[in-house]
Amino acid sequence: MKLSTKSRYALEGLAYIAIYSPNEAIRIKQIAEDTGITVAYLEQIFFLLKKAGLLLTVRGAKGGFLLAQSPKDITVGMVLRAIEHDLAPVKCVYDLESCTSKVRSSCVNRQIWVRLTNAIENTVDNITLEDLKVKYLKRKGDVT
Amino acid sequence: MKISTRGRYGLRAVIDLAMQEEECVSLAEIAARQDISFNYLESIFSYLRRAGIVIGTAGSLGGYTLSKTAAEMNLYDILKVLEGELSMTGSHEPENETDLRSFLREEVWDVIDKNIEEVLKKTTIKHMKEEFSKQEDSNFCAGL
Repeated sequence: MKLSTKSRYALEGLAYIAIYSPNEAIRIKQIAEDTGITVAYLEQIFFLLKKAGLLLTVRGAKGGFLLAQSPKDITVGMVLRAIEHDLAPVKCVYDLESCTSKVRSSCVNRQIWVRLTNAIENTVDNITLEDLKVKYLKRKGDVT
Repeated sequence: MKISTRGRYGLRAVIDLAMQEEECVSLAEIAARQDISFNYLESIFSYLRRAGIVIGTAGSLGGYTLSKTAAEMNLYDILKVLEGELSMTGSHEPENETDLRSFLREEVWDVIDKNIEEVLKKTTIKHMKEEFSKQEDSNFCAGL
């Protein structure tokens, strides 16, 4: 039941921007250098995040990527859904029709998949980039 | 972030097994009731038997039975056997993680894992049976 690397890197990229460059556009190259994620991979991921309305591109000499919304309005759930489509561990949670079993109307399992989806969504929809930023900076401050 | 076919079918089969009145349940019956191929079910049950979730009895009246009562068996134990791994990001400790990446692991990915684990551990096969009969009752009433 793994989350894709792409999703994890998407959150890392956005968290990086929220922490280190909340107000100015930042180039992918710099994020790549600091996070160790390749430029090509970040480009793919940022394309999806831009499509989902989480990032903006700025042209020109000071160009790069900018958060499209305030960090307190972007939740981890929004980031993951931009990459994963939905967060259900089994398709039937959102689309019963996608289940091809003859016995789907009397499925003994579906309840638990719904409950797992709720647990996952409650977790990720209640963490914002701002929460992560504040916690991370506090931790960094405590260390140094 | 998906539960595998083995996880979904295996859990359905275990709940089906727990719902039967007789001591030993044959795989052929489960296969028919749950619309799962017999061969596939056999391979799933060899995992479950080796992991001590079910006990197999040979012979003409043979079949399978749960190794514990339905109230003592939680979904975490069963899915862990079937899925191998229930962590969102893998359980092994990665090397050379940046500060940001290990921060996100602790604050986001491990929190999701913990919440999933909690839901699965507090849900027993007995709960699933009870919920299923409630669901069937309401289906029956809706049909009246």
